[in-house]
Amino acid sequence: MNILHMAWLLGRPTSASRTPQLLTVGAYTMVSAMVLIVLGGAWSFTKLDGEAQSFYVPLAAFALVLLIVPLLVLGSSAAKLSARAQDRALSSLRLLGATGFQVRAVAVTQAAVTALVGALAGVLLYLALAPAVALVPFQGQPIGTGIFLPAGAAALAVLAVVLLSVISALAGLRKLVITPLAVATRRVAPVPSWLRAVITVGSIVVLYSLFTNVGLLPVDLGVLIAIIIGGFALGLLALNLIGPWLVAKVGKSKLNKANNAEQLLAARMILESPVAAWRQVSGVAMASFVAVIGGTGAAMFGFGEAQATGTWEDYLGTDVLTGVLVTLGLALICVAISAAISQCAGTLDREELYSGLGKLGMDLAVINAARVKSLMIPALTVAIGFAVASVVLVLPFASLALLMKPLTVGTVLVVLVAGLLMIRVSLNIADPRRLLPAGSRRD
Amino acid sequence: MLQNSKVSNPLISARGLTRSYGTTHALDGIDVALGLGTAVAIMGPSGSGKSTLLHALAGIELPDSGTVTLNLPGQGPIQVEQLKDAARTKLRREAFGFVFQSGLLIPELTAEENVAMALMINGVPRGAAIARAVDALQQLGLAGMEQRRIGQLSGGQSQRVAIARAQVTGASVVFADEPTGALDSVTGTEVLDTLLRCTVGAGKTLVMVTHDRQVAARCDRVLTLHDGKITADDALVEGHRS
Repeated sequence: MNILHMAWLLGRPTSASRTPQLLTVGAYTMVSAMVLIVLGGAWSFTKLDGEAQSFYVPLAAFALVLLIVPLLVLGSSAAKLSARAQDRALSSLRLLGATGFQVRAVAVTQAAVTALVGALAGVLLYLALAPAVALVPFQGQPIGTGIFLPAGAAALAVLAVVLLSVISALAGLRKLVITPLAVATRRVAPVPSWLRAVITVGSIVVLYSLFTNVGLLPVDLGVLIAIIIGGFALGLLALNLIGPWLVAKVGKSKLNKANNAEQLLAARMILESPVAAWRQVSGVAMASFVAVIGGTGAAMFGFGEAQATGTWEDYLGTDVLTGVLVTLGLALICVAISAAISQCAGTLDREELYSGLGKLGMDLAVINAARVKSLMIPALTVAIGFAVASVVLVLPFASLALLMKPLTVGTVLVVLVAGLLMIRVSLNIADPRRLLPAGSRRD
Repeated sequence: MLQNSKVSNPLISARGLTRSYGTTHALDGIDVALGLGTAVAIMGPSGSGKSTLLHALAGIELPDSGTVTLNLPGQGPIQVEQLKDAARTKLRREAFGFVFQSGLLIPELTAEENVAMALMINGVPRGAAIARAVDALQQLGLAGMEQRRIGQLSGGQSQRVAIARAQVTGASVVFADEPTGALDSVTGTEVLDTLLRCTVGAGKTLVMVTHDRQVAARCDRVLTLHDGKITADDALVEGHRS
């Protein structure tokens, strides 16, 4: 039996696999539609005048870079859900004598096919949303038909999403041990705390030196933006090291203070894997960072708007704000979807336990509330923590922006809060009282 | 020989219980009365309705017809089948304890937290709940293992944590579904000893589904089911438990 045949036999929709499969396809639909919209926006900037183009295109590329992490987390969540939903079948394959390579090939093929179906649906969603997105103004006028990518570029984007699913599936499967008896999560040794501290402090020193002296460098705008993007990548590395540590600290504090079942369970869920908890909300950290730095930047650019010069620079403040809001919105949508998907995977994984606890008389509302808290506590910690850290980083500018352009700063903060609310609402999909079949949660 | 008539002041009594799944009759007119302080085994082949009967008596599942009456000491009779979902959940939480084959322990929590959870769900503050949980675990021979996570315990130790959780609330009845089914014979015997000591040994009622005749032989009474009907109801002689 070849890989494709095995993938089809295991992957065809059944009543039990329908929910995870729909969630996975839905996730890739959203990923593809968002990638296409951002690319469409970037594409529309290529039609601007020369000087404006050289400023707007790198900024759009920057927005894409910012979206890669939440998109990767989303893709990885979808791939893991897909593999988890098939765990018994994958274990059975091993029991029947399939090699580890064959089982992984089946899982990756399934992920790729699921992603392809989702990506094609994403193209349809992009086409459906494009007329609305075309109304977003840049340079004082709606983007218009500029949002429509050439067919070849759209096809490449679809391929990129499928490739992303394969990479995510391989990365996700690396953490799963598929044996003939079960699928288990592999424990990965954490980065030692001293190394974490060295890399974090080193990154901060480099970043600080870079950004305080960047104006003195004799380079043109393109190189400057490349330096900023590189600096940002270093910042992300530092974030990834500080994040789990911060989440673990908050988890321990919550555990010490927990006085009821819900708080105790939530704290233990966070501490079960601070790295996984951080990964789920890392997009929120980025959104907080974008909100503060981007919001401040938009306000600064907006200072000059009162004196119209009749050039493309008149629209900079408004356009940077639009770009910040779009990036922020898309990043938070990614976090909301990936959080919902990974929590669905968690709930489905625990189907037997949760239905059994229901029989014991444990109200599933308690488990649900703990599950929601286990994500929202790190999300709020990270949102507030990284917003404060970002404000400190650009303190003089941020206070000036707040004084001069309170509406701009306010708008960005409202979008950030709305995004956090959206994440909270998205978690309802993984409520065991809704997600688990009525028979299994009989109480 | 049917023993129902010999149970005076039954703790739980069921009359005319029926439950069907499609064309299968899992329960087909069950009448049974269970007394306080007794261990009752429910036996029968797969699909005979053992677990469905346990679920119906415990208010986990509602029968299609028939009644289940609970007479808790110091309280008036409760018609279990007439309670709404939330009230049945509360009843299970407060009045019953459960030990299932798979343990159903929460892997993120430590042994003491798993036991304390049963009390905290009922509103007992964490400090008091943990103290009672530690006491219960120590009585079951798990001293020194209170802080261990479930994954760090053996199968027998995990089942003893589940037993501690089932009795820490002071429940009058413990329902057990194949509590030793996943254990080797030596560990199974130890777990069964513990279960009997914590329940009937403390004047409580144990209702246990089992496939194992040797396990059933340690109970006071054995109900045998076939196709949803009780086909035998045997009282075992005094002293059999030892």
